[in-house]
Amino acid sequence: MASATRPATVRERVAASDRSIGRLLLVAAGALFWGWLLVSWVNRWLGGVLVPIGEPLVSAAAVEATLAALPGLAAYAADAAFVVELTPQLARGTWLTVVITAVSLVVGFVIAVPLAVARVYGRFSAWLSLAYTELLRGTPLLAQLFVLYYGLNLASYVPGALSGVFARGVVWVAILGFTLNGAAYQAEYIRGALESVEEGQITAGRAIGLSKLETIYHVVLPQGLRYAIPSWTNEFVYLIKYSSLAAFITVPELYYRADQVASETFRYTLIFVVTGVTYLALVLTASKLMGRVEEAVAIPGLGVEREE
Amino acid sequence: MSDGDFLRVTDVSKWYGDERVLHDVSFEMDRGDVTVLIGPSGSGKSTMLRCVNRLAEAQEGSIRLDGEEVLSPDLDVDELRREVGMVFQGFNLFAHLTAVGNVALGPRRVLGLSEADARERAEEQLDRVGLADQLDSYPAELSGGQQQRVGIARALAMEPKLMLFDEPTSALDPELIGEVLEAMHGLVDEGMTMLVVTHEMSFAREVADEVVFLDEGHVVERGPPDQLFERPEKERTGRFLERIASHD
Amino acid sequence: MSAAGTLALAAVESFGATGPSLPAGPLLAATAESVGAGPAFIGEGPAFIGEGADWEFVFRNADYLGVGALLTIGLTVASILLGFLVGFPAGAVEVYGDGYLKRAVNVAGIVLRGTPIVVILIVMYFVVGVPQINLGVVSISSAMTAGILGLGLRSAAYQSQIFRATLSSVDAGQLEAGRSIGLSRFEAVRYVVVPQALRRSIPGFQNEFTIVLKDTSIVFAIGLAELLTRGYDLFSEQTTAVLEVILFISAIYFVLTFTTNRALDYLGRHYAIPEGESA
Repeated sequence: MASATRPATVRERVAASDRSIGRLLLVAAGALFWGWLLVSWVNRWLGGVLVPIGEPLVSAAAVEATLAALPGLAAYAADAAFVVELTPQLARGTWLTVVITAVSLVVGFVIAVPLAVARVYGRFSAWLSLAYTELLRGTPLLAQLFVLYYGLNLASYVPGALSGVFARGVVWVAILGFTLNGAAYQAEYIRGALESVEEGQITAGRAIGLSKLETIYHVVLPQGLRYAIPSWTNEFVYLIKYSSLAAFITVPELYYRADQVASETFRYTLIFVVTGVTYLALVLTASKLMGRVEEAVAIPGLGVEREE
Repeated sequence: MSDGDFLRVTDVSKWYGDERVLHDVSFEMDRGDVTVLIGPSGSGKSTMLRCVNRLAEAQEGSIRLDGEEVLSPDLDVDELRREVGMVFQGFNLFAHLTAVGNVALGPRRVLGLSEADARERAEEQLDRVGLADQLDSYPAELSGGQQQRVGIARALAMEPKLMLFDEPTSALDPELIGEVLEAMHGLVDEGMTMLVVTHEMSFAREVADEVVFLDEGHVVERGPPDQLFERPEKERTGRFLERIASHD
Repeated sequence: MSAAGTLALAAVESFGATGPSLPAGPLLAATAESVGAGPAFIGEGPAFIGEGADWEFVFRNADYLGVGALLTIGLTVASILLGFLVGFPAGAVEVYGDGYLKRAVNVAGIVLRGTPIVVILIVMYFVVGVPQINLGVVSISSAMTAGILGLGLRSAAYQSQIFRATLSSVDAGQLEAGRSIGLSRFEAVRYVVVPQALRRSIPGFQNEFTIVLKDTSIVFAIGLAELLTRGYDLFSEQTTAVLEVILFISAIYFVLTFTTNRALDYLGRHYAIPEGESA
């Protein structure tokens, strides 16, 4: 029994503490990121209770002064101040990015499930579903957005009830585009997952007297959708990143805002690195979140064991 | 021999494409009877079993269950399966549900019991097969023998008038077969009507009222176990029994 | 290059010689102006598909779009190749490497996979400031170089994941068997593991190929005159033909992805290793 608790070597212990420090830093960065976003948004909704709308949460001048006073960091003081001045625009853009992604993902899922079920269990409807997914997966997303915006001019047809939700009706066009596109990809993932549910499960469902639809609903979907979670995470990440294409149909999301500031200030390097980091933070949050979901709904013996 | 006022299978034939897998199969059962179908693999015995609850479709013949024609196109198949329980060779437990969840799904969704009533019934049935201590385990956490007993409880929870067993012990390690046979013995003692496909000849010998020997889709011979096992009339039956015996 | 100013200026620059006259001003700014009533140039109400004149316009400019399609294909092939050259060693490092190299590869991959391709392209274009490359006969514009670098390195990050998965899916016994007949570790990986892993990589590779092909459209952001950008130019010129032009280029994209997929299907079957039921 003594060998079971072999003392860790120095090297292992250093590596372990390295890892835990890294994890701690990551958690701190995440808390800072989301704290900043949430406070910025709330400040905006409440009409600027903390700082006037459009102003950064902390004064840029103060940041610059503080850093300038610190030896070694003085060289970065001006850049840091610039980034701080940028933050209100970034927070505004990120809000739209998050909303567009979330709505498109959820509505896309609602469309994708019947698409996938039709593809696996349907006859004529299987062909329709196949045509839809092939067409949307076979053409660029940007071209699809162009069809909706420039080709069909959908922005001028946004129903009155919806147009008030966002400052610009075109946001709905972007959501429609991402929803239709995302539904095709999600349907493909879900199809794969449904097909990995064993045939015997369906037979057993039928044998206790469930109808075919009931069997799909009570037996196949609960298993298949669990199998689908890892690829669903991919889809989530994909949508966060590709929502940036909405900028090209004038949706003022994160990339658009960054580009606007950049074309005024010409500080492309700094602005797009910060923008990239913001997207990265969103993506990492999404995959951590989905990891949690996967753990929460995990069932012994179902799905692939994840290698750590 | 049975007069067949409960289950009467008459001249049932089935083809898969051009291949004929059942040739005019006939046998009868009374309520409370245990009939065992034996035969080499590919003899059509599992297919015959599945025709009774229409998981397989027979193209010719008649299967009358409790006075109703099973093969009638107007028959409500879901209704039929509600009344006929089935236990599978590969268990086929719903992988995403616990033992209780597996057993309660039918009562809840098919019979329309309340959540609480369905759970109560599931617990009773699991207790009946000796699994009262594994209620909340998932299939992957159970041994093969335990999984199969959940499978039996799942079928029993529908309160079937006929139970079908499709090689219930074939996928089990030898040391786990006993517990499943024991659960089946229990059902026999309670007077359950059972149609069983199995290679467990000792089980057939002990509990069967009639044994039906199928080969290449034909009923070669049938009769009470002591007669069929001790004094088979057909040569093919004798050869099959010898082969089985030499494997034991 | 980074002094060049706005996106669109860069775009106009790279068009210069071949492209038609382009609406001046930043692309994003140009589209932003028309916010509110939708794109300004579609003021006449819903577009009708099938106006003879509009389709005629599309076909008259088919060769212009054809050159764009060729650029799209060239950009795809170059990016995939760069992605393979960088991504394969990166995948191998993630499986067989250790220490800081492995960590660095890992972090670079996470960053490239977690950032939108449009941001990567912009950073390549303005930040790295790739120069125009002169090869005597042909010269590669800086937008093209940035496009290949951006798409290629991003693809490398994804390809490394494909190869990491397939390399580690090859049974450890294979490596041992290789060592046992006297191959060095490197040789065993090279001659035993890699040939098996490469074959298994084809389905993932297929996926990656179509992703890169479709994402070449996003070099629109840095004004490289590939298929989508040329389509944009065309419908800016004849605004009644917007839908016709986009549908036409979408069809080209679809044909490209479809044929690529079928071709890789064939390749996959051709190089498949016969496998038993249990394999």
